[in-house]
Amino acid sequence: MRAVIDALHSPLFRRALLEATLVGVLAGVVGVHVAMRRMSFFVVALSHGTFPGVVAASLVGVSLFAGGVAAAALMIVAVVLVGRTRALDDTSSIGVVLAGAFAVGVLMLSASPGQSRDLSAFLVGQVLAVTNQDIVLTVVVGVALLGVLTLLHKELVGAAFDPAAFSALGYSTIALDVVVMAVAAVALVTAIPAVGTILAVALLTVPAVAARQCTDRLVLLTPIAALIGGASAVVGLAASAAFGIAGGAAIALTTVAAFAICFLGRRVLTFYAVPRVGTARSQE
Amino acid sequence: MTTSSSPALVLDDASAAFGATTALDGVTGSVPRGGSVALIGPNGAGKTTLIRAIVGAVPLVRGRIEVLGTTPKLARGRVAYVPQADSLDAQFPIDALSVALMGRYRKIGWIRRAGAADRVAAHDALARVGLDDLAKTRFGAMSGGQRQRVLLARAIAQEAELLLLDEPFNGVDSLTTDLVVDVLAQLRADGAAVVMSTHDLAVAHLTCDDACLLNTHQVAVGPIRDTLTPGRLQHAYGHGAIVLADGATFVSTR
Amino acid sequence: MRGLLVEPFQSGFMARALIEVVLLGVIGAAVGVHVLLRRLTFLTEALQHTVFPGIAIAFALETSLLLGALVAAAVTVVMLVGLARDDRVNVDAALAVMTVAFFALGVAVVSHRSGYAADLNQLLFGRILGVGVREVVETAAIGAAIVATLAVLHKELVLVAFDRVQASALGYRVDVLDIVLNAAVALAVVASVRAVGSVLVVGFVVTPAAAARLVTKSVGAAVFVGAGLAAVSGWIALSVSYDASVHRDVSLAPGATVVVGFEIVFVVVAIAVAGRNRFVRRRAALA
Repeated sequence: MRAVIDALHSPLFRRALLEATLVGVLAGVVGVHVAMRRMSFFVVALSHGTFPGVVAASLVGVSLFAGGVAAAALMIVAVVLVGRTRALDDTSSIGVVLAGAFAVGVLMLSASPGQSRDLSAFLVGQVLAVTNQDIVLTVVVGVALLGVLTLLHKELVGAAFDPAAFSALGYSTIALDVVVMAVAAVALVTAIPAVGTILAVALLTVPAVAARQCTDRLVLLTPIAALIGGASAVVGLAASAAFGIAGGAAIALTTVAAFAICFLGRRVLTFYAVPRVGTARSQE
Repeated sequence: MTTSSSPALVLDDASAAFGATTALDGVTGSVPRGGSVALIGPNGAGKTTLIRAIVGAVPLVRGRIEVLGTTPKLARGRVAYVPQADSLDAQFPIDALSVALMGRYRKIGWIRRAGAADRVAAHDALARVGLDDLAKTRFGAMSGGQRQRVLLARAIAQEAELLLLDEPFNGVDSLTTDLVVDVLAQLRADGAAVVMSTHDLAVAHLTCDDACLLNTHQVAVGPIRDTLTPGRLQHAYGHGAIVLADGATFVSTR
Repeated sequence: MRGLLVEPFQSGFMARALIEVVLLGVIGAAVGVHVLLRRLTFLTEALQHTVFPGIAIAFALETSLLLGALVAAAVTVVMLVGLARDDRVNVDAALAVMTVAFFALGVAVVSHRSGYAADLNQLLFGRILGVGVREVVETAAIGAAIVATLAVLHKELVLVAFDRVQASALGYRVDVLDIVLNAAVALAVVASVRAVGSVLVVGFVVTPAAAARLVTKSVGAAVFVGAGLAAVSGWIALSVSYDASVHRDVSLAPGATVVVGFEIVFVVVAIAVAGRNRFVRRRAALA
């Protein structure tokens, strides 16, 4: 506890806390769409796919954010292209693309002389190195992404639920898919330089699954996921300061703990709950 | 220019392929406004491919499909696709009313939220399939038959001019079957055309005027009584078709 | 040509690396064909990350990495079955939670030690040039067990992949066959992780098998074609990596070079097949 209070006196730690909380809330909301479309694997793949872009950006000396976004865009195109051959299903084509992307990143890193071969920053991030600029970028990107998700809410939900009927209705479901992929990719890339891959993936997938344990209703899902994401960031960073483990890993483990609590909590509640009569099933 | 006098559906030598495999070969026929056709054939005969081609989701390698007097892509929005209830995610956090409301989305438009009139239309559609009291029930928590009726309600709310139903009677209760048959008859009386794939020949006779017998290529098409003869069914299904002494025909789905 | 493809392997460590790559290529293709049939790519991806804490803990305790990886893989599979049974956690979500949980645990374990970056890099990317005779023998033994199991159960596994309902109607224990296949995938991942690290395994399992799938009509043929493609392209890639490092002063990580080699094979095969399909369709349309 002492370590946490000491840490709070440091402006570095306070900035880290703010950035992690912002990313947590943003990723929690985006994660609801990821979970709804069962796109977790795609997010994991994207996190690997951005790797060559981040490496290339650091070699050339341009912004890691730009490099990550470019690589993610390439990856989305590659997955759509390989998927269109119809020879492979979606998961297989994602697997082929992600394995290639990551290998290319490792290759580039190994071939660059004098470059630090340190990948741990990519994995766990450098949350204490967050600058005010990073925080501003997160806020701007976050507002833009939440705006897109709010404006297209009903279309995104409908296309996720029944893509075939939705395309008969006249929507381009591929375009709506790409919107969600792009939103997830931008959220991921925003998060990675500061908080690392593991944490970015964790925040984009786990809080929404945890929230799903608490409610069946779509309107409640988003605020609960945002709350779990933000709270995990705060608790995880505190744990990181208290126990001296990597910040990204600590926050990721906190989201998992939140999931475990919701998962087990629901089981306990349903076990003791009085069976309700008059549900849909009992009318059959 | 499209007019309401053009047929609901015209197929002219429609053919589709996946990779190097032919999935649908030379299907021809037409469905008038208020008309109905049953797509009959074994699994893998191209029924689903044909339905997907009618919504423009599968490109043709040969031939032509005209929907409501225009191309499949341009007719989107006036066509409703009703999938098998089992094919949808039962865990999806959405209630019956929201599913029915989806039929109104094109009328509501991008960005705007559903208004009171749309909600009324969705409630009315659910009432027509006997489910208005379950409007707030989660889709996945309903029985198979109820889910199928919710999907039909969505098509009603859409006020579609052409309904495409994929195996609507697969694994549903008899109450649902009767209700769907009634509702389809009412919709047709109002001028909507119906295309449905099914293995259930008895219901096909009740619901449809015409039949199209498929086995990748088109075996036969025409008025349902003349088309679904035991001999032709045997041709389409191979030895899976069992003809009974009184002329009735059972078709195994395997 | 001889200088490129044969000479590097006269030194012991390169010879061992080549044998290891070929063995892993064959194991990967044998398992990978089933992984693609059953859409288990995410499971493979998750397993390569979830064995990481096992390896990290074994590394910290200085015991066998193989043992650590095996324990972690077993725990993963058991927890996964438990989670995916729940009606509000689908397999996709369960795999995501497990991947994050285990991988973060591994990083936390490693990061708690001082100077962890070097350790982390080694555990993540493997040391294919550092495999010893003992590791090659272990890989061969695991590989023999996996290939024998898949060969014996071949027709049953294909049946379950094609039509689960029919398989259980015929009296097969579908759940047991599922567990056997998952165990084979887990073992293949465990065998690969030591040599190629915790992030490149998916390339070994999925990519050669995917290329083979594009050009074969039966599951059995895909296994042989995939193994052949993996062995040949693995050999060439390892040679290229050696040549670049020794003669051209460009350091190419060998594990990553091999996976990139697999990917190149996949892309070439995919383009060839797409061209052939277009040709066949055009001819059919003209007929």
